[in-house]
Amino acid sequence: MKKRGIGMASMWYGIGNTGLPNPAGAYVDLLDDGTVLVLTGCADIGQGSTTALAQIAAEELGVKIGDVRVVSADTGVTPDAGASSASRQTYISGNAVRMAAQQAKSVIVEAAAEALGVGVADIVAADRMLTVRTQSDKSKDLVDCQAECQIALGLTPGTDAKSISIVDCIAKCRAKGKLSLGHGWFNPDTTGLDMETGQGRPYATYAYATQVVEVEVDTETGVVDVIQIVAAHDVGKAIHPQNVEGQIEGGCAIGLGYALMEEVQVKQGNVATANFTTYVLPTSLDVPPIQSIIVEDPAVTGPFGAKGVGEPALIPTAAAIANAVYNAVGVRITDLPITADKVLAKLQLQG
Amino acid sequence: MSDYKVIGHSVQKLDAVEKVLGVAKYAADIQFPGMIYGKTLRSKVAHGVLLSVDTGKAKALPGVVSVLTGDDIPGSNSSGIIIKDEPVLVKNGQKIRKIGDPIALVAAETEEIAEQALRLIEVKVDELPAVFDPVAAMKDDAPKIYEKGNVLAVRKIRRGDVEKAFAECAVIVEQDYQTQMAEHAYIEPEAGVAKLDGDIVTVWVCTQNPHYDAKEIARNLNIGLNRVRVIQATTGGGFGGKLDVSVQVHLGLLAVATRRPVKMIYSRHESIANSVKRHPFIMKLKSGSDANGKLLAFEASIIGDTGAYASYGPGTLTRSAVHVMGPYEVPNVKVDAYTVYTNNPQAGAMRGFGVPQVAFAHESQMDILAEKLGVSPLKIRLINALRPGSFTGTGTELKDSVGIVETLEAATAGAKKTMELNW
Repeated sequence: MKKRGIGMASMWYGIGNTGLPNPAGAYVDLLDDGTVLVLTGCADIGQGSTTALAQIAAEELGVKIGDVRVVSADTGVTPDAGASSASRQTYISGNAVRMAAQQAKSVIVEAAAEALGVGVADIVAADRMLTVRTQSDKSKDLVDCQAECQIALGLTPGTDAKSISIVDCIAKCRAKGKLSLGHGWFNPDTTGLDMETGQGRPYATYAYATQVVEVEVDTETGVVDVIQIVAAHDVGKAIHPQNVEGQIEGGCAIGLGYALMEEVQVKQGNVATANFTTYVLPTSLDVPPIQSIIVEDPAVTGPFGAKGVGEPALIPTAAAIANAVYNAVGVRITDLPITADKVLAKLQLQG
Repeated sequence: MSDYKVIGHSVQKLDAVEKVLGVAKYAADIQFPGMIYGKTLRSKVAHGVLLSVDTGKAKALPGVVSVLTGDDIPGSNSSGIIIKDEPVLVKNGQKIRKIGDPIALVAAETEEIAEQALRLIEVKVDELPAVFDPVAAMKDDAPKIYEKGNVLAVRKIRRGDVEKAFAECAVIVEQDYQTQMAEHAYIEPEAGVAKLDGDIVTVWVCTQNPHYDAKEIARNLNIGLNRVRVIQATTGGGFGGKLDVSVQVHLGLLAVATRRPVKMIYSRHESIANSVKRHPFIMKLKSGSDANGKLLAFEASIIGDTGAYASYGPGTLTRSAVHVMGPYEVPNVKVDAYTVYTNNPQAGAMRGFGVPQVAFAHESQMDILAEKLGVSPLKIRLINALRPGSFTGTGTELKDSVGIVETLEAATAGAKKTMELNW
């Protein structure tokens, strides 16, 4: 007989190394034609950090994503960004890139403010333009103050030039001998953990997640089939939503393999499963429909509120599958993986 | 400012086109004129002392360019992310601690000649009793893998008064859990190329941390860090398994010794047999709540088998200790997490870093607790979930971005669309 069950599991995950300094650096060069070079030590291993860091630079500088080129992970030219691990690069290198972009931007914003006759705080960068903040962007007081200033200068309030292109602004800077370069580095606000009590501040921020899994258990064979997965992940802010979904789906696949089939067998120190005929991984046939839900509870210290998702994606899956198996057939497996043999043995004990 | 122009938009990934067209260059794709191929001779015993390495026949084989042993390392013969306990090449008189420990390197005109040469190297080892079970390894009479003992690190968390709190609990759940060793199985096995440019050693390699690699190469080759250039080649996944040094230092040694470009590519077998693994955990958890399901006390012990070398082991066990109570507020906590050496393959970082193991345990605990109390899995989690203002087991106050309750609600609502969920 095949019996279905539903299981839930949650997780939390501290972003970055535990109670240790783990800084990242970045350089940003806003070039003459308005294109941008980002130099970062961050290694993109397929997770998409290069794209996320380019997005952060583009947003901060007010250029298009296509204007940004990222040179990454070359110790001859890029600053140290630490490891692509601990789900840390979006948060830590993201902040470093943003800070570097802010520093480069400050040079052109100053020139724009001078050209437009406003304060630097009134300039916003977007769509390759530096624009005076519109009324809806700032408090009424500021608008009134600006109007007063304009009247004092003999200008008509609200009718003067409101924007200048980034390229023109860069040209103004270069005419004065100013380069628009920035560097930034970020280290999360943590403390070490006390050796006796473990008390301290191990991480600056945490990701959270809950997954709900439906399984079908064959009571004659003990085989567990995962029918569907719903995965809700609090990532702070999704810099690239499709990439976050990709991380969640990939994580669920790894979590499913960890729950049901993957096991490195070691005999007297020798790896007995050193190929893919004996080390069995899930295939597309094993991975069910996955409903990815992105929850955004922004982190005050994250770049645009972002935290991380790389590792959280897989953490609740095995636990949720174990709880679903119990819900289906009343068998609680307490040692992974949940193989058919283990399920069947416990089902037979139940009688 | 919620009106972002780029953030929150699923733009085309910057590396999409080159990967889809198949033109992205992975380390194995990199070619140089005059390039030779490196291979590694590895230990077949799990624990012993290396007595001798005879490379005479291998060096005499036509096509062999260089054979290196532990005597040929200009700098420190050690590496490791947290603790420098791994030999670059085990030297005569030094210990072998696992099957697969590197003993010699061969560089030859072709991969086939290099492999043939490996078989001509004669190695003598004084074998020692080995220990493969972390619980056995913790005992006083276990074979000592290191002089200072097999327990590498103990991480303790202490908060409140666990004994007193358990005495006040209405329900207590106590259960043992175990998790297995797992493999990253990235699609691209370890590979790299090294080349000298004047006095600069340049290494192209699949890696998750080029700056760490550069530091190890500089230490082992005894050259300035500014004379090492590590360039990450397009990397086919890592999942934590490409944080440790694999071919990087060996490539550097061979390039300097031969002054020729040199390439190393691991086979899938060499990759799985020798790369770090997910730590297998042995866990004991005890959770206690009041009659309403509010957690009052939590106790756990965790034993992680880190194998022959530390790699990220102490970091993994520390992270697991911090996370083992789950995303819940518990006022009284006691955790002991042990990182233990054995003669098994070394365990290190793998996506989740000790937390998938403990999540399996703490989430099983929550469901058992819910059943005992007669409440739903959702309700037991909502009662205990961390919120802004909560304190964690490490005594950290959480201030912002504590989205666990939102994920519980969103996942439940999502599940109700397609599952017959009655919570």
